[in-house]
Amino acid sequence: MLSMQEFFRMDRWPNSYCPGCGNGTVMNCLYRALRDVVDMDKLVMVGGIGCSARIDGYVFADAIHTTHGRAIAFATGIKLGNPELDVIVVGGDGDIGAIGGNHLINAARRNMDILVLCVNNWIYGMTGGQVSPATPHTGISTTTPEGNQEYSFEFVKLVAECGANYAARWSIAHPFQLIDAIKTAHQKKGFRYVEALSICPTGYGRNNKLAEPAQLFEYLKSKTYILKQNGTHGSGIAVNLDGKFALGEFANRDRESYLESLKKQEV
Amino acid sequence: MKPHINEDYCKGCHLCIFVCPMKVYEKGSRISKKGAILPEVSKPEKCPNYKKKVDEKLTCEMCVLTCPDQAINFLEG
Amino acid sequence: MREFLLGNEACVKGAILAGCRFYAGYPITPSTEIAEAMARELPKVGGTFIQMEDEIASISACIGASWAGVRAMSATSGPGFSLMQEGIGYAVMTETPVVLVNCMRGGPSTGQPTKPAQGDVYQAKYGSHGDYEIIALSPASVGEMFMLTIEAFNLAEQYRVPVMLLADGEIAHMRETVEVPEKINIINRKLASPGIVKEVWKPDEDGIVPFPVFGKGHRVYISGTTSDIYGYPSTVKPEVHEAVVKRICDKIRKNAEKIWRYECYKPEADKIIFAYGLPSRTALAVARDTDRAGVFRPITLWPFPEKPFGEIVAGKDVYVLEMNYGKMLYEVERVAYKHGAKSVSFLPKLGGAIHTIKEVRKFVGVD
Repeated sequence: MLSMQEFFRMDRWPNSYCPGCGNGTVMNCLYRALRDVVDMDKLVMVGGIGCSARIDGYVFADAIHTTHGRAIAFATGIKLGNPELDVIVVGGDGDIGAIGGNHLINAARRNMDILVLCVNNWIYGMTGGQVSPATPHTGISTTTPEGNQEYSFEFVKLVAECGANYAARWSIAHPFQLIDAIKTAHQKKGFRYVEALSICPTGYGRNNKLAEPAQLFEYLKSKTYILKQNGTHGSGIAVNLDGKFALGEFANRDRESYLESLKKQEV
Repeated sequence: MKPHINEDYCKGCHLCIFVCPMKVYEKGSRISKKGAILPEVSKPEKCPNYKKKVDEKLTCEMCVLTCPDQAINFLEG
Repeated sequence: MREFLLGNEACVKGAILAGCRFYAGYPITPSTEIAEAMARELPKVGGTFIQMEDEIASISACIGASWAGVRAMSATSGPGFSLMQEGIGYAVMTETPVVLVNCMRGGPSTGQPTKPAQGDVYQAKYGSHGDYEIIALSPASVGEMFMLTIEAFNLAEQYRVPVMLLADGEIAHMRETVEVPEKINIINRKLASPGIVKEVWKPDEDGIVPFPVFGKGHRVYISGTTSDIYGYPSTVKPEVHEAVVKRICDKIRKNAEKIWRYECYKPEADKIIFAYGLPSRTALAVARDTDRAGVFRPITLWPFPEKPFGEIVAGKDVYVLEMNYGKMLYEVERVAYKHGAKSVSFLPKLGGAIHTIKEVRKFVGVD
């Protein structure tokens, strides 16, 4: 079992995140999920731009901090360049779902053999709190000062519909389930997507009268509910209409992965 | 064992106070060198890990898992 | 072995011989045949081809593959080249070897998809933001599409830099005979010593930083952000950024003489025609029939072969042929006048029109 010192670049602590940032909690869950199974010399962390993407620099493995939104495309090249590598993409709702949206859906469709950990804090945190495709309807941000008139993406549903082998959503208020989801995803082949609903007290909380981390944490938890087996959840579309977030596995398949189909072609 | 807070890492977010199911923590009055209002371990005996020895598996780890700064550790005490 | 090849196919042949084993690209006229040939040929040699969802994804995947230790290439034309600029900047900043082919067509914007042009030659050097240097090569024949692709890979690996092959749409689509050798000389990137690499950006004496391929236990953090020597972001101290800019630029600037490739034909003549790519064929045809005109043909557009060109132009009239409205012309004027040239004249060809021997003879004044 790897110690914290073996998994993280502890010489970079204290981490640069704001007080109460959910990224730290996600890092704890990532560590717990991987510490018994990961080969740190084969692990490659790939992050785009944003606070959540910076998790790539805290893990003591090869890492590449790419251009905004393109982590999944870089990861595709890394994995195809050397299929032995254990490629994990980490990033936020904006990086992965807005500017990176095209790469997200195509990698899911291809069932590319990478794991994507999306930390969804409903906002563009790093740049000061602008709206993201994940900002809840009526949410206040610096670019929606009167309240967000748009409705947000349900990325996990979108990715599930695009044929990913695994798509699950949990939150930082559900660390045990989040750990299990990452563990399960890590063992599978193909495109695996784990979304962690998180908090940005600085970027989202402050603008929405939820400035205290504990306040925003409580608010987030109150908006989540756990998916019932075979239950329907929310709207039937990948858009959030009711402000509530279903948590659980949205897809758990064993469709032929990209590498598996490449191998078949070789034969 | 008692939870120990690393004062170099703690940023005073107080999520530990909020998530602890046994109300072991409380907002303290001490301020760290970094300017964080440190939480205080005010009721360690309420923690399910209180009677455990060092290196024994923890019964509850909500604070450790939640702490965004990896500032909580269970130590002898 | 002699083969009759399409320009784009010759490029692929050269790439595979040079060890290219990864291609991520997007179709765009007039480069599409490169992607198609790669799709057919790469799997045969154990390489991987993938058509990505756009050019941004293509360059990103190529950079990723290069970090996984594989020679990677993509090909595109103007609009795709524009999309790739951010990725090119990333490759430069992270000193990633990668080869990019731009089969230039009429621009700007969608322009003339099926007509050749030379309008992107400055974009190759200045297209991304910030201070940096790249290497750009200009083929003038199908044979050079083959040879210069191999050169491109060797230069990319040696200098840890993106290398552009700036063909024009005509060279990409013409067919000529090529002498394909059995074996060629391959230069590999200098690899980092085994173990954890602490000083990720420390160059050796030659100005080149050893390359820490992913998956070998080096545990390196690579980023496009200005970083200190350990690879960690350090964006506030001016001297850190200055060191980065100088490292990525000086390795090209200080080695320019070794990188320059050019052709000089009858340099003693009173008139020097400056041309590259397609128009250089016309220039050479004109110069073959007269002693009054010589040709300077740069093969490396960047770094610009300033010294060899400057040495032959003192007191002479220089005639520039380009398939654009003035690009290398400005570099020529700068260097020529600095070295005492008498005059610099320009004959542009736009819209895919080609310089004819007759009009160049008239332009240069040898008819």
